[in-house]
Amino acid sequence: MPKQKLNPLPSAAFQILLALAGEDLHGYGIMRQVAEQTGGRMRLGPGTLYSSIQTLLEAKLIEETDAREDAKLGNERRRYYRLTSAGRKLARSEAERFACLLRVARSKKILRGEYV
Amino acid sequence: MSEKIYAWLLRLYPSRFREAHGEDALQLFRDRARAEEGFLLRLRLWFDLLSDLTLSVPREYFHVQPQLASLSAHLRPDGVPSFCVLANESLGPGALLFGGVLSFAALVTFSVLLNHGVRHVPLNALIRPTQRSAGARSSPFDSSAPPTANNTGQETIGSKPPEQPEIAATSSRPNHGAAPKPRVNAKLDATERRRVIDGAAAILEKDYFDRDNAKKMAAALRAHEKNGDDHAVTDGPAFAALLTQQMREVSPDRHLTLAYSEAPLAQHPIAPTPEDLAGYRKAMKNQHCTFEEVAILPHNIGYLKLNSFPDVSLCRATAAAAMDSLNHTEAVIFDLRDNRGGEPAMVSFLAAYLFDHPEYLYNPRENTTEESWTHSPVPGNKLADKPAYVLTSSRTLSGAEQFCYDLKMLKRATLVGETTGGGAHAGVWHRIDDHFGIGIPETKAINPYSKTDWAEIGVEPDVQVQAAYALGTAKELALAQLRKK
Repeated sequence: MPKQKLNPLPSAAFQILLALAGEDLHGYGIMRQVAEQTGGRMRLGPGTLYSSIQTLLEAKLIEETDAREDAKLGNERRRYYRLTSAGRKLARSEAERFACLLRVARSKKILRGEYV
Repeated sequence: MSEKIYAWLLRLYPSRFREAHGEDALQLFRDRARAEEGFLLRLRLWFDLLSDLTLSVPREYFHVQPQLASLSAHLRPDGVPSFCVLANESLGPGALLFGGVLSFAALVTFSVLLNHGVRHVPLNALIRPTQRSAGARSSPFDSSAPPTANNTGQETIGSKPPEQPEIAATSSRPNHGAAPKPRVNAKLDATERRRVIDGAAAILEKDYFDRDNAKKMAAALRAHEKNGDDHAVTDGPAFAALLTQQMREVSPDRHLTLAYSEAPLAQHPIAPTPEDLAGYRKAMKNQHCTFEEVAILPHNIGYLKLNSFPDVSLCRATAAAAMDSLNHTEAVIFDLRDNRGGEPAMVSFLAAYLFDHPEYLYNPRENTTEESWTHSPVPGNKLADKPAYVLTSSRTLSGAEQFCYDLKMLKRATLVGETTGGGAHAGVWHRIDDHFGIGIPETKAINPYSKTDWAEIGVEPDVQVQAAYALGTAKELALAQLRKK
């Protein structure tokens, strides 16, 4: 099922993969990172976030690391997630697909060059 | 508070989601709530949460964990049926639509089959009662009464066809001859119409008390048949009603009825068994002979609620005790609103208390004999000159109507309530074939009061009020009467 659910890769899942590309993050960290990288356009709610995380975990595109505290957010222990090599590969191929689309769009003068 | 609300909303998710991520989701909510303070930010937070909930809850319910498929195989003990997840997929919209259409089609099909394909058998036809209500044993005045032992070959009928308990009876008694099947929407043909007309005419000529009219009615039935007046009628009840009308055009006798029964009519009437009689005796004992209430109301008004007129031989003592307990009252109210009839002998026994001399009680199905007079005066009775009221309802039937009718005609009681049901059961029942029968009076009782009795039209009360208010009205009338004295 995860394969089917991720083909095509939903935008929330792609954003999560991108968010984890820089560093390991907990749920709230992912949500903030996604909001930041989308300019605030995508604020993942808990349902969508953890549903997507579950799907990515099942597809082994991300994995859980040891739970630990986040000093900035208090002393609660949090589950952190990390991108696997398969996840990184999928994120790259998805990014390349978008890049390809962007090239087409730019050649059709739908987008201007400065966006890429 | 907000966290509690969100924790409650999280319960909307399937349990596997809550177990895996419920705590994380709450933590994320806390983090966001801490970071996003202020009215607008809080508003945005709840907007996000609610839209997320709307989208993700249905998705979670469609999502099936892949491990379930393998788990179901491991958990199934031998021989125990269990559900297996065959496809590792959530259902597509096409499959859901197809399933919905199929379910709807199945539902419609079953409904149609249940309504049209299978004949409905009333529950009471399948159950043979072990305890009959009072008056149902051998009561000539009860519509549900089985034929009596001393009435072999015939049974009484009123304005409606008698209820025939053949379906139940065949389970416990041998039926005579082949058991005919209930008729299901069958159309009458010319042969059956002629058979019914010939049968009815023959019975009329043989047994109707007025020979001249019998001949005229038989001739009228045959003439209508010859003229083709009946040809258009193929429906059993309508045909029975038409023939009844044709007979009554000759002689307006409401005790004369041709009736149709969808359930097959018994070849021979079924006499009550010793068990029936024992059941009746037991029922009478348990129900205090259907004397539901005997009371002395304020202002010394006696009140007697009687739900049938039971067999005098069984209930004489109870009836006498009830009347004795009211002996010193200033007025008496008989509540017959739930009384479905019974024995004319009990009608006469109770009415006797209201007279100081023998009084003739008209009974449409018995010849006038010595028993037609009440055994008045009753020794020690003080009620003979006290005002009497009878409460009636549309459920008041048969023997109870005789009590009402005679006391009204004798101006001995004031009837308060509704017009009664109109069941005289004055005819003697003759079977014509499996589905048609005719009830005809074989005797001519003298009705000194009126040309008509209560057959089909009921007894009209002196004071017409809804049955529910009859007791209150009667009490007021009694009180007003007592104050006049």
